Amino acid sequence: MAEELDDLTDEMKAAVGAETSRAIYEVTTQGIRTFARSVGYTDTKYYDEQTARNAGYDGLPSPPGFLGMPIFDPNSGGRRSEIFTNPFTRRLNGGTEVEPIEQVYGGDVLEAVTRITSLELANGRLGQMLIQSNETIYTRKSDNTVVAKTRGTGISY
Amino acid sequence: MSEQIYWDDVTEGQEFSLIEPMDSQRLVIWAAASGDFYQIHYDDNYAKDNKLPDIIVHGALKGMLVGRLLDEWKGEDGSIKNWGVSYRGMDPARQDLTVWAKITKKYQEDGENLVDLDVGVAQPDGTQTTPGTATVALPQR
Repeated sequence: MAEELDDLTDEMKAAVGAETSRAIYEVTTQGIRTFARSVGYTDTKYYDEQTARNAGYDGLPSPPGFLGMPIFDPNSGGRRSEIFTNPFTRRLNGGTEVEPIEQVYGGDVLEAVTRITSLELANGRLGQMLIQSNETIYTRKSDNTVVAKTRGTGISY
Repeated sequence: MSEQIYWDDVTEGQEFSLIEPMDSQRLVIWAAASGDFYQIHYDDNYAKDNKLPDIIVHGALKGMLVGRLLDEWKGEDGSIKNWGVSYRGMDPARQDLTVWAKITKKYQEDGENLVDLDVGVAQPDGTQTTPGTATVALPQR
C-alpha cells in the first residue's frame, strides 16, 4: 500500500490541465461493424453502407460512442505514459461520459487529445484514493471539426 | 430502424429497457471492438486466479449498451446530447443484464425539446452496478 499523502504533490497539482496524450484514432468500416455487433445493434445501417446512404447518411455511420481505435504502438508496452508520479499502483475505471457532437463515419481519422481536468485525494473503503478526471476531445482531421468529447474518471488506490 | 418517438408523446417517469445476454463470445467481440484485451474479461483461469467469481463484463461495454438503448429509442430524428455512467460494481458474465432508462425531466431549452433520464444496468437479481444520467433531444410533432 502506498504511503498516505496529506495533499496532492506539486507535480500532481501541475498536471491538472496538462495534456496527457495525443493520438490518432482510425474509424474503419470494419471497426464500426464489430462495435455494432458487440453491443447488439440489429439496425443494418451500421453494417451496410448502401442501406445507410439510402437512409440519408453520407457513408457508414458510427454508432454513438464509437470513435475508432488508436493506432497501436508496439513500443509503448500497451500503456500510456504518466505525466506525474502516482504512488498508487492499483487502478479502477470509475466511469465514462460521452458527448456526441457530429456524426462520425467509416473512413474518418480523428485526433484525440486528452487533458487532466481534476485530481483529488479521497478516502474510501479501499483506503486513500487518487481520483483523476480526464477529458478527451476528438477532432476529425479532414475538416478540423470537433466530433465528440468524452470524460472519464480513473481511481487509483 | 426503430419507429420515431416524439417529445410530445413522452412523459416524466416513462421507462424503457432491453435485456442483453452476456456470454463469453459477446465479451470477446467487445474486446476486438474496443481494444481492451485484459484477461479478466475472457480467460476463466486468469479471472479465478484474480479471485473473481467468473469473467467480468467490461465496464465500457455496459456504458455503450446504455448508448445503444438511447440511440434506438430516440429514432432517426432524435439526438443524444450526452450520457454517462459510473462503474460501481462488477457484473460477472454468463447472465442477462437489463439496460434501462427512465425519464426524469421533460423540458424545452434553447429551441430544443429535451428529456433528462436516469440510466443504468441491472443484474437479474436487481443489483444496480452502473448508474448514470443522459440527455436526449427529440423531435416535436
